[in-house]
Amino acid sequence: MGGRSFETERMALRALESEDASSLQLYLNDGAIRGRRYVPGSVRDVEPLSRSHVSAILEEWGKEKAGFTLGVLAKVSGRLIGHATCEWNWDPHCPSVSVVIAPSQQRAGYGSEVLRLLVEHLFLDTPAHTITGWIASWNDSALAFAAAFGFVECGRIPRAGLRDGDYYEHVLVELLHREWATGQGGHRAA
Amino acid sequence: MPLEGTLVVLREERREDQKLFAELRNDLATQAWGQSLPPTYTEEMHVKRFEAMEFSYQRTSARLPIIHKETGEVAGFISYTDLEPRLSASIGLVVAKPFWGTRVGLDAQETLLRFLFSELGLRVVHLWTHSGNPRAVGLAEKSGFRVTARIREAVYKNGKLLDTLAMSLTRDEYYARHPEFADTLPDPVDLLRGA
Repeated sequence: MGGRSFETERMALRALESEDASSLQLYLNDGAIRGRRYVPGSVRDVEPLSRSHVSAILEEWGKEKAGFTLGVLAKVSGRLIGHATCEWNWDPHCPSVSVVIAPSQQRAGYGSEVLRLLVEHLFLDTPAHTITGWIASWNDSALAFAAAFGFVECGRIPRAGLRDGDYYEHVLVELLHREWATGQGGHRAA
Repeated sequence: MPLEGTLVVLREERREDQKLFAELRNDLATQAWGQSLPPTYTEEMHVKRFEAMEFSYQRTSARLPIIHKETGEVAGFISYTDLEPRLSASIGLVVAKPFWGTRVGLDAQETLLRFLFSELGLRVVHLWTHSGNPRAVGLAEKSGFRVTARIREAVYKNGKLLDTLAMSLTRDEYYARHPEFADTLPDPVDLLRGA
């Protein structure tokens, strides 16, 4: 990682520890984020998770070699309020990102701050050229969130899963380095 | 009953296939990856990977050598990965250069698709390629796949920035192209809608 700090005035991204299991279990089992928990692919994204499930998730995140998952800490409370992942399993040229904020802490601007830190890290400290995100087509708030940040939809993967009696799609969104830099008014680290 | 097409048979992987698989992996034209790999893969590495495979009823991937019926030669391999049972999988195809332009790849693709839709009951099959591989795009389109997503400049290969292409073929689209096969598996969504 580069010299940038993984924190803002209100929050910090930090490594996840086994002691985080209870906080993690609490918000991962909140029905409001069913299907958008962004947990490892070996864990289904819908059922309530036991402590051993959550420990397995933490262990899997800890083994990531081509990317990382960090916890989102709210400074005011000292509580874990979410997690964020960058991964480049295919190629560091085109990493993907995901951000999950506990439902009780949403709409407070934490997600935007986290995403800004991740994108700055990838574009300023790694060879990333195109950053992608995968969002379920029913997840309107995440789609709006990504669009507001400058991500653009670049297509859809049909029949990604079933939800409430219908198929949904995965919406792919992308952000090119040069478009981000332009939107930022140039490379701020230069 | 083997997975048999007009020109090819798809069979289980064997130890003796690994030499060809290493050769295909070391050829930049047949690596079939969105990034280039060093041409340093050995037969021994592939044998080790092959021998590490264990028996399971919960397989989520398979790699099937393509046997050219006329000559008995291995013409490449076709695979599926990321199987979500009864829902989806992604396929990949590598054809050895001597078999390019012989329709062996298309026959292998159609043979695997029949297995995925008629035996595994999938609702959709995906594949990933890039804009610098028009041969792969054309072959997929011949089976009914269409590009559903284009991630700009996500691939750098052969000195060029290329777009990643996601292509998909739904069950409905597959059976519409193959009226000779009847689809007797109800769609759960149609059942709920009373269709």
